[in-house]
Amino acid sequence: MDMLLMDLCFAVIGVVFVAFAFGAAMRSESWNSPAQPELPLVKAIAPARFFSNRQATTPVVPPVQVPIEVLLLQIENHVRLEQAAAESFLAFPSQALLHSKTTSPFVN
Amino acid sequence: MTHELLNGLSPVEIEQVLKLGTRLIVPSGVSLFRLGDPADRLFLTERGRIKLTLPMQLRCREEDVFVEERSPGQTVGWSALIPPYRFTLAATATLFEAEVIALPREALLQYFAANPAAGYKIASNLAVVIGHRLQLFQTMWLREMQRTVEVRSA
Repeated sequence: MDMLLMDLCFAVIGVVFVAFAFGAAMRSESWNSPAQPELPLVKAIAPARFFSNRQATTPVVPPVQVPIEVLLLQIENHVRLEQAAAESFLAFPSQALLHSKTTSPFVN
Repeated sequence: MTHELLNGLSPVEIEQVLKLGTRLIVPSGVSLFRLGDPADRLFLTERGRIKLTLPMQLRCREEDVFVEERSPGQTVGWSALIPPYRFTLAATATLFEAEVIALPREALLQYFAANPAAGYKIASNLAVVIGHRLQLFQTMWLREMQRTVEVRSA
């Protein structure tokens, strides 16, 4: 019985000692971390380009620009459609007609 | 030709009003008035169409953008009777030449003073024209606003 109690005491002391040692190790790590010098930012590694000094760029597709005359006609068409929609609303005012969709490419 | 501005007037009154004006031929593409011009004459469209435009910046260029078109019988340039008497749009004849009757403001006001009943009818007709424009553009503004809000909150 005495031997059993003694073994139990040693086991408890051992567990306590290991817990203290673990706690101390964790504390010292967290104290040290703010003092650590900041690591320099590592630039993203560019993909290797063999036999070429040119920068690899994604091809830029220029937006298709319609001639100004076409754009003006599109605006005119849009205004006419909007006026027609507004006229419909004024003839029979309703929520649905107020926000009715037209076929104008500016709103579709 | 019936003119919206002269609705309800007797034939004699219509003749009296039309006599105050001058007939003008506006060749295709020619300006009737420009934005900001002094508005001293009101126009009744007799023939052809008058396009009303406003300047807008398009690709770093100023372009006249379509706002409205007026047909025979309709009134153009009611700014001539509304202070500060400046045109708030530009007016141009469309693809075909147009014919208008230009009514000077001073002559009209004198006629109204001498013929209050006819003046009242013309003023009422003018209110209908202005009111319709207001309601139309109020509706168009709200539709555009609704789309702007939808795009921004998407």
